[in-house]
Amino acid sequence: MAAIELTDLTKHYKQGKNIVKALDGVTLSIESGEFVAVVGRSGSGKTTLLDLLGLLLRPTAGRIMIDGLDTGTLKDGERATMRGERIGFIFQEFNLLPTLNALENVMLPLRYRRGKDPDGKARALRLLEEVDLADRVDHKPSELSGGQAQRVAIARSLINDPALVLGDEPTGEVDSETSTQLIDLMRRMNRERGVTFVIVTHDMEIANRTDRIIRLKDGRVLSDERITASNGSLAGAPLPT
Amino acid sequence: MREILRNLSRRKLRTGLTILGIVIGVLALTTMGSLAEKSNSLIDGGVRYFSDHVTVSAATNGGFGGIVTIDKAKEILNVAGVQAACATTGGPVKTDLDLSISFGPGDQLTAEQPGCSQYENFKLTYVSGHAVDTEGTGQVVFGSDIAKEFKKKVGDTIQLPIPPKKFNPDYIGHQFTVVGVLDKTGTAPDSFALVSFKDGQTLFGDALPAALKGHVDPTTIATGINVYGKPGQDLDQLANRINDQVAGVKAIPPSTLVNAFKSASIVLTAITTGSALLALVIGGLSVINTMLMAVTERVREIGLKKAVGARTGHVMREFVSEASVIGAIGGLIGLGLGWAVTTLVNLALVSGNQAELFELSLRLVILSLAFAVGLGALAGVIPALRAAQLDPVTALRHQ
Repeated sequence: MAAIELTDLTKHYKQGKNIVKALDGVTLSIESGEFVAVVGRSGSGKTTLLDLLGLLLRPTAGRIMIDGLDTGTLKDGERATMRGERIGFIFQEFNLLPTLNALENVMLPLRYRRGKDPDGKARALRLLEEVDLADRVDHKPSELSGGQAQRVAIARSLINDPALVLGDEPTGEVDSETSTQLIDLMRRMNRERGVTFVIVTHDMEIANRTDRIIRLKDGRVLSDERITASNGSLAGAPLPT
Repeated sequence: MREILRNLSRRKLRTGLTILGIVIGVLALTTMGSLAEKSNSLIDGGVRYFSDHVTVSAATNGGFGGIVTIDKAKEILNVAGVQAACATTGGPVKTDLDLSISFGPGDQLTAEQPGCSQYENFKLTYVSGHAVDTEGTGQVVFGSDIAKEFKKKVGDTIQLPIPPKKFNPDYIGHQFTVVGVLDKTGTAPDSFALVSFKDGQTLFGDALPAALKGHVDPTTIATGINVYGKPGQDLDQLANRINDQVAGVKAIPPSTLVNAFKSASIVLTAITTGSALLALVIGGLSVINTMLMAVTERVREIGLKKAVGARTGHVMREFVSEASVIGAIGGLIGLGLGWAVTTLVNLALVSGNQAELFELSLRLVILSLAFAVGLGALAGVIPALRAAQLDPVTALRHQ
């Protein structure tokens, strides 16, 4: 079953008298466990797409199904709960809370969960170990490098065992070597845990390390290509737009 | 909780100033409030003390200053409903004008005819020693404030009334031995020096103006008569009957005294708590300001929390808690300072031979703390609402 199904997804903004068509009828489906890169120039609608997928925005028209659930029927509170429990977020600027240490940052989403979660701390420690930060548990974000901070954020995105992790330029703030390490880490988490990843990037090096590249232009899908695992080159013909 | 404290310590100066605002408010509330509490407990005691009998004084002078003769007490006994009529005498303990700051009547020498204490509702108990021998002379029992003021304990001797600082040819003193010290009552008897009726008459006679001195026999006079009613007797009605039936005296209905006390108490309480509440409201406004700034600074943080599943209620709660903690810290510090100030001023007053001015009661402590925390929480609501209503996308992309 497809993890995500988008049908004629549309998002229009009013900007003064003009209407900006950030997304203009996008229909796609993303399989469970896929690792997808969304690319495009700025203004192509890729960030809007991510915000819609993350239930941070409501679409002007169209439908978003996540795990078979039509998210359009959810109330604001239910959307917040679904974000907390089913969706993880990784941001360009890490967005760690400066007053919390690495462990507490990883555990932050647990705070907003319903019900008790007695082994949340153990899970957080295990995740920090998996992202190779077992020795930085007590460190504040200001004491971490960019790559380390983003690894904390990756651990945080996975704390609630989400079905879907969304990354908004997750390698945008670090050098290319660290970028490669981060994308490899995300790929490993994707494979080991079977979590679907959708990341927005403008870096083709990064995009080429994913399973599939969706190219947006002016709010529409320009191309949708699968990548063969063997050589990292494109496979299959571009889809018609 | 730890996160709240860390958030507050991110902006130490700002948080400190805001807490200072609350501290000043709570300090004002505790000092003003304990001033009002002290006067209230004096007044409550006064009400209890004066409401069990009808006070009768000489008709001519009014008030408590005139002279009545003991014969009047016998006359009053004939009025229907009277259980007992006890002549009282007394006068100031100090011959110098008493300028101390005090809500009470000041130090009083008092004496009542023998055998009358059984009718009083207000029972006196002793820290040490015992009552004066009602038939004897030269013995005195001190109330707790007056004992502290003159640093006297059982067995000590004292000259009464207290000799004037400057030589005064009219002064006549008598040697007294302290035979008892009363438990603290929180009201009038704390500043009483109780002597036997005989001694009371002597002291009263000594204090009379020279013109009168030769013409009256001190053993026949008193300053007033306390009239006790039979069980179930309405004392206001009894006072009216005494006024109707006994010439030359004025009986004051207890309710008149009680009402005078109570209206004084209400005004004082309103003034003091009003000004203290004003100080706290200003503190509350500064909490609102601080929290609004904190919301503005932490817009991205709020966006992130919403992205990872925080509902509107969660964000609200976090900001309201933070504001409450500011209130609680300010409240505790303010209360501590208020306690220190009232205690020190009380100590200074007592060591300067004056009565205590403040009473920091438990209910005032609880009220001040609850008010500080409640005010903080209330002040946090508006900023918290603003935080909770932020759109997560806008908040996350906020620079």
